[in-house]
Amino acid sequence: MIKMLTACGAGVNSSHQIKDAVEAEMKKRGYQVSVEAIQIKDLNPETMKGVQIFLPINKPDLSFDVTVPEIDAGAILYRMPAMAAPVYDKIEDTIKKNHLS
Amino acid sequence: MSDKIAETSLFDRDTVYVSDATSRADVFKSVAEDLYKKGHVTKDFLKNLNEREDKYPTGIDLSVVSPEYPNVAIPHTEAEFVKERKVVPIKLKNPISFNNMIDPSQEFEVSFLFMILNNDPEGQSNVLAQIMDFINKTPQNQLLTFFKSTSADAIYSFLQSKF
Repeated sequence: MIKMLTACGAGVNSSHQIKDAVEAEMKKRGYQVSVEAIQIKDLNPETMKGVQIFLPINKPDLSFDVTVPEIDAGAILYRMPAMAAPVYDKIEDTIKKNHLS
Repeated sequence: MSDKIAETSLFDRDTVYVSDATSRADVFKSVAEDLYKKGHVTKDFLKNLNEREDKYPTGIDLSVVSPEYPNVAIPHTEAEFVKERKVVPIKLKNPISFNNMIDPSQEFEVSFLFMILNNDPEGQSNVLAQIMDFINKTPQNQLLTFFKSTSADAIYSFLQSKF
């Protein structure tokens, strides 16, 4: 299972939409992926533990260094295939390049 | 049939607003006070709504969907400040400045708000996804008419039939 993390301000709408969309699309592409959706204020080295890809939505200003690959996932929110596809491709490339599983 | 009922229940006629406000603070205040009076949100809803919008903006640039569409925003709070799952449509007669949700350094004018009340983040269908699907699937001429409407009745009935 590949572990990813996404975060938005309230932890209610945007992050859950990214979670649902990325999990569904990556399953379609043949990957076992689990995305956790949390509030930005809860992002810290502790919550990042075990995370293999970070999927920020709104270019958050973090007080610590993210040491795993980061892929800007905001475009997925539009629910338009043409906007989302490049994000999914980048996620798949990152999985392959880093041999994540 | 049951699906249709589940979808349409996201809107209530008495929580559709057409606002004359000229600032974000004013429109948030008048709508939040009415929502509180009607029992849909908690007392601290307004405070959290403003704080969140300052820190994590919710403007959505619709020019990437169609250059003719006005921009919208989806203000919302954490789940604890709302008592149900609902979308509150607010037409802004005067466009108001919001920052971009996916790039907060960008600012633009917004003329329609889909305020999201969500007390159940894990719920079956994602409200934000439903709003975006509504925008993407509604024929452009109809959506343009909808965005221009200043009749709460017309806004409500369009959403009831198309959302």
